[in-house]
Amino acid sequence: MGYKNRAEAETEACLNEALLFATMCIIGLPVDVHIRDGSVYFGTFHTASFDKENGIVLKEARLTKKGKSSANVGNGSVIETLVILSVDIVQVVAKGVLFPVDGVAANISGDNAEAAVTNASSSEIAVSEAKKSNMFTVDRKKSNQNRGSAKNKNGSSQGLMLTRAGKDHEGRKMPPNDIVNVMEFEHGKRDGVNISKREASSGDSVNGRQTGEDWSQGEQDLYKHKFEFQREKSADEVHSPNAITGPHLSEAKPVAEGRVTVKLLPNGVSCNSAGELMKPDNQYCGRPASVGTTSPIAVCASVSTYSNPTVDVPSESLCSSLANSTDAVSPRISESNRSSKAFKLNPGAKIFSPSFSNPISATAPAVPTAASMAYIPSNAPAVPVAAVQPEVGIPFAPRSSVPAKYSPYSNLTAVNGGSGSQFLQPVVRHMGSRAQPQPLRYSGQYHAVQAAPAFVPPNSQSVMVGQLGQLMYIQPVSHDLVPSAAAISSVSARPMSTPHQVQYPKHQGSAAGQTLQLCVAPPFVAGGQQPFVMPSHIPFLQPPIPAIRPIPVPGSNTLFNTKFP
Amino acid sequence: MAMEGSNITNSSSGEDFAVGCLLSIKTTLGEEFNGQVMTFDRPSNILGPKHGPKRNIRFLKANYIKEFSLLGQAEDPLDIKKCYIDLHSLQAREELALRQAEADAERIGVGVTAEAQSIFDALSKTLPVRWDKTVIVVMNEVRVSSPYLADCVSGGTPAANDRVKKVLELERKRLQARGASR
Repeated sequence: MGYKNRAEAETEACLNEALLFATMCIIGLPVDVHIRDGSVYFGTFHTASFDKENGIVLKEARLTKKGKSSANVGNGSVIETLVILSVDIVQVVAKGVLFPVDGVAANISGDNAEAAVTNASSSEIAVSEAKKSNMFTVDRKKSNQNRGSAKNKNGSSQGLMLTRAGKDHEGRKMPPNDIVNVMEFEHGKRDGVNISKREASSGDSVNGRQTGEDWSQGEQDLYKHKFEFQREKSADEVHSPNAITGPHLSEAKPVAEGRVTVKLLPNGVSCNSAGELMKPDNQYCGRPASVGTTSPIAVCASVSTYSNPTVDVPSESLCSSLANSTDAVSPRISESNRSSKAFKLNPGAKIFSPSFSNPISATAPAVPTAASMAYIPSNAPAVPVAAVQPEVGIPFAPRSSVPAKYSPYSNLTAVNGGSGSQFLQPVVRHMGSRAQPQPLRYSGQYHAVQAAPAFVPPNSQSVMVGQLGQLMYIQPVSHDLVPSAAAISSVSARPMSTPHQVQYPKHQGSAAGQTLQLCVAPPFVAGGQQPFVMPSHIPFLQPPIPAIRPIPVPGSNTLFNTKFP
Repeated sequence: MAMEGSNITNSSSGEDFAVGCLLSIKTTLGEEFNGQVMTFDRPSNILGPKHGPKRNIRFLKANYIKEFSLLGQAEDPLDIKKCYIDLHSLQAREELALRQAEADAERIGVGVTAEAQSIFDALSKTLPVRWDKTVIVVMNEVRVSSPYLADCVSGGTPAANDRVKKVLELERKRLQARGASR
């Protein structure tokens, strides 16, 4: 075969891969196939031959435009399997294709990114070693067979995948298995991003932040990721945005909606931090390099910057109520950010905000905008706490021990996730990450460290059964509150929490996608539980809150104006 | 990064389209569009303009390009190193698409008039219907045959029969009203 020779050239190999890749991207999508005689067939792209001739197979094809020559295809009848030979094809047009590169791979989590990177490289190696041409010819043969009997489609596509399958499956954990909707797909990915980011930030850079000034550590971590991601990222995305504001813009590109939120946050932060905090700026300088995939990082950064100013203020003004105030404030800020963002994303979400206190409204919008919201909450509570610690110092002594538990918890939850389906894993870990901030709060406020372990298991279970999980989850909360807090708290907490419960399932149904619903909903539930916790705190915190509220407002400017009219 | 497009069946052998080129292309079928060259192989593969994360992909054979003009040069649109494909999602997507297509296809009557199809579509909004050749079968028992007037309704329990007649008349009225308003 002449192709063997060709394939030996490196560039040529790439080209073929590009074609292969592009072809695979349109599998299962509706395409228009223009034929030599001018007729157009519309159908679902099934497979293509990569042998000498580039014939394709359509499923459920219809003749949409009659050409000059008469085909044996009736106008209007549906052909279950239509094989179009290469000689007849003029062009194949697929509309609205979402390239994994643009939409998904860009969002691929650290896990995925790594997986994908190894993916690509190893596949290259495999290709070069195994004489790619051979492999492809094998594949081609398969696809040829498919031409004959079109039912083998799975075989062919898997055959194509064989070159990668080994490496892909690692990455495949993350993406939901049944993807109906591309956006959902992204969400899933982003969740993944989140988690990995969170692990990095909470595990490593949190330490850095505990020291307060010590951003460099976090930066180093980020750089590590940077290298991973840079390989992943296309040069264009990486470079051009760098010149400007950095990663956020670039992020906004690939995924318009979701990323906008990210973009908003950092911008708001940079406004704040410009005069006030030099370090966050430095972070940003570093981050543009790490770019794109670092969206969660960006969020972390923004959140942390937020939390810093707020933390400063209470530490000065409210010495006695420090523990409570900082706890309450930092989550609240982040959440209000969320809500404002969510508001911009989908105005409908805002509806929920007026009826409830901030945290509630914040998380409520978080539900509809699935992923983008999903990772923010997880980052937000954790980072502020970490940032808080150094400044508060002694009063939080119990807490400093808690962050050390971050990693253990995440491990635990991650293990639980492993038992579930593949896609659950990110979710579970996500929840785990959620759970972490809560223990922090509790330990901080009530010095009841035991509360933390109590929460983790219910979380993991709640993944499996969303609503039960809620119930289970809440009760421990209230119990914990009751002993430490006055009876009022429990009373106030329960009525507050029950309406939330009612609300969340609804949103899950409407917002989360079909397949993802099962999986993703739990994290929201988890997210929703935080607010449950929060209202119970509110009664105690009331004195600190008014003092705190003015603080975020000047800081965040427009974001908060939308939130607090 | 220039590319290699040697061999193959295209008439422009020897001339290669460089990946990343922004081209305005006219095809022999008289179509005209702008796009970026994503890869060039036997056919030249043109990547449609990018709108956000979604784009249109066009696989165009180079020998059907009548003329083209270079609009500019951009960076490579596709970095093969970061390509990532999830087979499961592909399979799921195709399965879903096929199911959808089959469902849609079943809804299209073969050898029926446009009016009959619109009646079918209208009925399908309220009742479960399917085609049996040119006969609309409602709820698997009531049959509505051409020309799909109330008189043509037959079979089924009297209640079901009446129900179908009623819906049919209403839908016909609605269709007429819509037709008149146009």
